[in-house]
Amino acid sequence: MSSFRWMSAAGTVEVPLREGQSLAAALTAAGIRSFRETRREGPGRGVFCGMGVCQDCLVVVEGEPNQRACMTKAKPGMEVARQTFPGVPALPREAATRPGEAPAMPRVEPVDLLVLGGGAAGLTAAITARRAGLDVLLVDERVAAGGQYYKQAAPGLVAPMLDAQQREGAALVAAAEASGAHLLRGAEVWGAFAPDSLAVFDGNTTRLFAPRALIVATGAQERGLPLPGWTLPGVMTVGAAQTLWRSYRVTPGKRVLVAGNGPLNLQVAVELAEAGCDVVAVADSASMRSIRAGFAMFAAGPSLSLRGIGYLSALLRHRIALKRQALLVRVSQQDGALLATLRGPGGEQDFAVDAVLMGYGFLPANEVLRALGAAADHDARRGHLVIRRDAEAMTSLDGVYAIGDCAGLGGAPAAREEGVIAALAAARRLGRSIPAELDREGAAARARLAKHRQFQKALWRFFDAPRPGLALAEDATLICRCEEVTKGEIAAVMADGAPAIGEVKRRTRCGMGRCQGRYCAPVLAEWLAEAQGRPLDDRALFAPRAPVKPIAIADIVALGPR
Amino acid sequence: MNQTEVDVAIIGGGIVGLCTALELARAGQGVVVLDDGRHSGTTANAGSLHVQMQSRFIRMYPEQVAGLEASLPMYVAAAALWAQLAQDLGADVELRASGGLMVAEDEAAYEFLAAKCAREAALGLRVHMLRQAELERIAPYLGPAVIGAELCEHEGKLNPLLANQAVRRAMLSAGAVHRPETRVARLTREGASWQVQTAQGTWRAGRVVVAAGAGTAALVAPLGLCVPTVAEPLHMNVTEATGPLVGHLVQHAERMITMKQLAAGQVVIGGGWPARLAADDGHPQIQASSLFGNLGLAQHLVPKVGRLRLIRSWAGINTTADGQSILGESPQQLGLFFAVPGDAGYTLGPLVGRLAAAALLGRDGGFDIARFTPARFA
Repeated sequence: MSSFRWMSAAGTVEVPLREGQSLAAALTAAGIRSFRETRREGPGRGVFCGMGVCQDCLVVVEGEPNQRACMTKAKPGMEVARQTFPGVPALPREAATRPGEAPAMPRVEPVDLLVLGGGAAGLTAAITARRAGLDVLLVDERVAAGGQYYKQAAPGLVAPMLDAQQREGAALVAAAEASGAHLLRGAEVWGAFAPDSLAVFDGNTTRLFAPRALIVATGAQERGLPLPGWTLPGVMTVGAAQTLWRSYRVTPGKRVLVAGNGPLNLQVAVELAEAGCDVVAVADSASMRSIRAGFAMFAAGPSLSLRGIGYLSALLRHRIALKRQALLVRVSQQDGALLATLRGPGGEQDFAVDAVLMGYGFLPANEVLRALGAAADHDARRGHLVIRRDAEAMTSLDGVYAIGDCAGLGGAPAAREEGVIAALAAARRLGRSIPAELDREGAAARARLAKHRQFQKALWRFFDAPRPGLALAEDATLICRCEEVTKGEIAAVMADGAPAIGEVKRRTRCGMGRCQGRYCAPVLAEWLAEAQGRPLDDRALFAPRAPVKPIAIADIVALGPR
Repeated sequence: MNQTEVDVAIIGGGIVGLCTALELARAGQGVVVLDDGRHSGTTANAGSLHVQMQSRFIRMYPEQVAGLEASLPMYVAAAALWAQLAQDLGADVELRASGGLMVAEDEAAYEFLAAKCAREAALGLRVHMLRQAELERIAPYLGPAVIGAELCEHEGKLNPLLANQAVRRAMLSAGAVHRPETRVARLTREGASWQVQTAQGTWRAGRVVVAAGAGTAALVAPLGLCVPTVAEPLHMNVTEATGPLVGHLVQHAERMITMKQLAAGQVVIGGGWPARLAADDGHPQIQASSLFGNLGLAQHLVPKVGRLRLIRSWAGINTTADGQSILGESPQQLGLFFAVPGDAGYTLGPLVGRLAAAALLGRDGGFDIARFTPARFA
């Protein structure tokens, strides 16, 4: 087995790796969980989101700091170091600059349809748009398309398909590849300047696309829940744990606890149990006893409901305790393990585990849409923005469509139908006549979408539970993971003149870090709304800024072949 | 509608308004700061302390060079006042008198800087010309494109996020009242005093200080005054934090750029690349061409910043009229005072606040402000 070198203050070790694994996966498999140092003294940070969003797992790769371990493929012989704070003392090497100056702007590349995101929604849209005769460019930030729902095995990883969900995703990816759509993988959309001006770093150069129609299918990220210990290495989202297993065949630890709210938690608990983990409990804040919601779910989506029942019976089979109306209230470190405390109707209970998986539902990854200025409404009950769309998934911006979870969390089945609907609408808009067969498929997609939405509503009712907000956070609990800003620090600023969210940001640095406020903004906005009576709308959040995700300056200005 | 009486109403809660309020409150005046806070330059400021003449102004407005030169002693005093204020506030605002380098890429630009350096030295500035070998010693981060630079020892940087708060706290503890998110709708004279109308109520003030930056023109036009302030939206960027890299405030002899590193390690890149005002609400917004141009130039000058990731770019508003400050009482509207700084407004903030307060109190602020009179535009 090949290996790479891991260097930290504790010394240098060889970490075994399997072809295709990310650094995060290989390190986790080796029992290494703390990847970087923080400003405040402590155990550091490791994998949290597992999907390139949180920026917690930064390591130094071959002298290059600020590399996301979850997004970096491990290679034999690599030198990887635990990152010190705030970075490395000296940057290793100079960027490759050409003599003279780079051109001021990239050449603008026109395209019929640009699809952002290669998950269930984006892939379906690309396939349909091709069939309707459009030139299609699909951009996905991952090397393996499929998105978070279909989570494909990493390229190069030799492993059998795990289940029908992964097979369905593989078929969709294959269909997209065969469709004639141009798939740009491992490419980051970092600038959304206008609907016809989108900057993409393709791994080599930055390109500026001017699509005639734009379909945004950027999916969702998991919601964070600030509670004592939520930044400890070993505490991660259920999605991160699922990626470790489904994409890299690594489990987050031997003994794991799953806590939060929603059906994904049940699924991941079962998957990890089948992978050999000792899942000590699954805690859900909901009672999951609404018979009415159960019936409604079954009526709208019998096969998905059966899958859910299957997960519940698998929990029984694996003797995994399902704790209803139970909250994870804190996590601490004890004797090299994590001590997780659940609070349920019967009182508090401690579990010593290797990993704590938090799953509190999702937040739409709507940064591109917000940056472009698409109108949105805040759904107070669900606690996120919902992009305003017409019946064909077009936003308030002409020719800009939002489909799948980025528009407002509808689940993967709905995302696929929206992909069909939006692609046909875009094709019509660009003057293509739609063949009768495709037209019928569009109508069928519309009918199924109505069912999926009914199912999703019933599902939410079934898992309905109050969102804890900041109730579990203590004064010393970090709200902003990146800039390490505590609840107490924010409370002090809020008591001094009731400042708006932008002013809270400027006074505390909350939201100014590498994740760009993705985890702290929603809870902070809700807190401010409650404390100050401000309306919860787009303006209640941090203003959307370029870049969409952090990107090296050298990559931004790489405007020609290097 | 509730009405409140106050000695002085200050319109604008940017660094100038806050500093003016601090001075006046300490002098025993009853002060309210009415702060719209939406179009402020201060909250978007990147914290350069400018002293040497910025080449972009010399290039853009050659007719203003005489005025720029005449104002140079003010910039020296303003930088010194910032240092004094930081000490006086007892707060760490990350003020560093690191020195500022204006770099040249060719001999012609070097000669341009050398001539500027000589004029500035004659006016009493601590400035020197440095060749590549000397630069390599004090600024090894500069890339091979740079062949020389003018070093201005007075220059440096501070963290506006910390400085704004420190001044605000000091102002509050001196007894001034701060009303954020309060936009002044109308300013009218009533006998010997002024009525300042806002959506949150009307204030009656003995005197008014207009410290509204680019908003000044529209605010005083109904009074028959012409004070032609213009909003100049500008682009800024900040990288993720890293170890010490860029030691100075870096500028360019011919092109628009400022670069500096905050104490916490982030590199801030700006320097005058244009942004635009949104059509709907006038909020400043970035434009792609400035992002590419500004960052391309940054990497060209300091190649290692290419390795750093950009975290955020944003746009703020610089106020410009004729490049000079607008200071003192309006001869047409007695009791109405102006406190609008000239170029590099954040650097000038505390000094302009002090001079405006001195004018209002009838004291000597240490500078003759007659040439900054708002009446010069009439």
